[in-house]
Amino acid sequence: MTIASLQGVVKRYGTQLVLDGVDLDLHEGEILGLLGPNGAGKTTLIQTLTGMTPVDRGTINLFGDDRHPFSHANREKLGLVTQEITVFDELTARENVLFFAGVYGIKGEEKKRRAAEALAFVGLEDRADKRPAKFSGGMKRRLNIACALTHRPRLLIMDEPTVGIDPQSRNHILEAVTRLRDRGTTILYTTHYMEEVQAIASRVVIMDQGQIIQEGTVDELVRTIQHEEKVSIDVTDASLVDRGRLEQIAGIKQVTVHGNKLTVISAAGAGNLDRIITIIKEQTGLVGIQADKPNLEDVFLTLTGKQLRDKEEGS
Amino acid sequence: MTIFEFALKRSFGNPTNLIFLSLFPLAAIFLPQSELWPALPYGYHYFGILLLFVAIRLTAILIEDRTSGIVKRLAVAPITHFSYLSQNLLAFACILVLQCTVVVAGGVLYGQELGQPLMLLVLYVSFAFTALAMAVAWVALYRSKEIAFLVYMTIIVLLSLLGGMLFPVEMIPEPLSRVIMVLPTYWLTDGMAWVTSGGDLLDFWLANGVLWLYTIIFLTLGSVRKIH
Repeated sequence: MTIASLQGVVKRYGTQLVLDGVDLDLHEGEILGLLGPNGAGKTTLIQTLTGMTPVDRGTINLFGDDRHPFSHANREKLGLVTQEITVFDELTARENVLFFAGVYGIKGEEKKRRAAEALAFVGLEDRADKRPAKFSGGMKRRLNIACALTHRPRLLIMDEPTVGIDPQSRNHILEAVTRLRDRGTTILYTTHYMEEVQAIASRVVIMDQGQIIQEGTVDELVRTIQHEEKVSIDVTDASLVDRGRLEQIAGIKQVTVHGNKLTVISAAGAGNLDRIITIIKEQTGLVGIQADKPNLEDVFLTLTGKQLRDKEEGS
Repeated sequence: MTIFEFALKRSFGNPTNLIFLSLFPLAAIFLPQSELWPALPYGYHYFGILLLFVAIRLTAILIEDRTSGIVKRLAVAPITHFSYLSQNLLAFACILVLQCTVVVAGGVLYGQELGQPLMLLVLYVSFAFTALAMAVAWVALYRSKEIAFLVYMTIIVLLSLLGGMLFPVEMIPEPLSRVIMVLPTYWLTDGMAWVTSGGDLLDFWLANGVLWLYTIIFLTLGSVRKIH
């Protein structure tokens, strides 16, 4: 069942076309990973889907309503985890969550119960009465998520919720997102971290230059690209290996050596691994071998010609 | 009324704000009377300046909400921008009106010469709303709280100087004396003169009326800016 959709959505800022006829469906109970390089239009897409920015052309349908998609009733079912950490430093974690619960019209004991539930959900129950000013980046991010959960949204939009945090907090957040999906929440998840999308997304949409250029499951997307096969081979002494002999094997495109590691790139489906291993064993000792399959990063690179993150950011 | 409730909580949650909101108004009650000028005790004559400072400090919450993305988050929630702004303003107004009441009531109890204390309270409340509206309009122009504060400090000094709060308006040269009538502080000074010296009641309501006119104009300007 489609819970939200954009059809032919066009958005311009001045002369710049930011969304160029975007069609997108969000199905109930899925985690949809939205990927795109900087400037692809992801943020604008989120802004139009949440009613923050009006569209120039096209239709938005939210919870089956395309006439008044951003009605009061529909907003009560919508949640947003912003990229910025939007919590009040001068209030405690509990007060922060209570504030957002109150904004969504939850009152009295129910409000307190929901706040405690949301804090427990992100693992902050023991910090409930502390102010976020003294929290780590990861804890602030978790509180940021808790603030969006008290009203139990049917559709939760998460805009890069793990930016700049440690791996432990990231894992905590990814687990929480998966548990949210398990209890029926539909999630639109944008990130610059490909491995997150690979780990949690039911479906992936790739955007570039204001358009959706590919969508499908991770496996479907990986199958769409014709890619070379890469094999990394650790040997006892790489200087003894005759690279010329290896390069003469059918299908091999390139052999490179770094220390005692050989990297052999072949055309997809060449089926030459046995022959490679035989030659190496004749010349030196084989320590280990690893075949690297194409992943989402390769799909993204192939489709957009860009890295999702700048290399200097690290991974 | 969640936003109203939390605006109060946040306003008192800051230690510097606590000084502005409680200590300074209390200190104003006990400042002495001058023999020549001003006619009101110092604490009461300068109370208008304190209201200007308090108003800009309170409304800084609006800049913080905008820059931190809170407003963006609220834009997705089932709440209108009007509701967000009006609940915040109501909280700030309650604080300012309470301050005015405490200062005037405290002065009466302490035995300060306040002329007509009830009318002074009315005048302070009118000016408190003007100060609040000016601050709202001012913070709507900025994304940085620090820059907004810094420039507004200069504005407050100028308003105080030219509005007759730091020296008598009679000392201002003739060509300027007509121009300063456009300043809200001029009308506060004018009202305070009426409170101590008396005169036509219409003059007092004129001063209040002008202050409320400014309030409406500045509130309209300040409410234009929404999410970004």
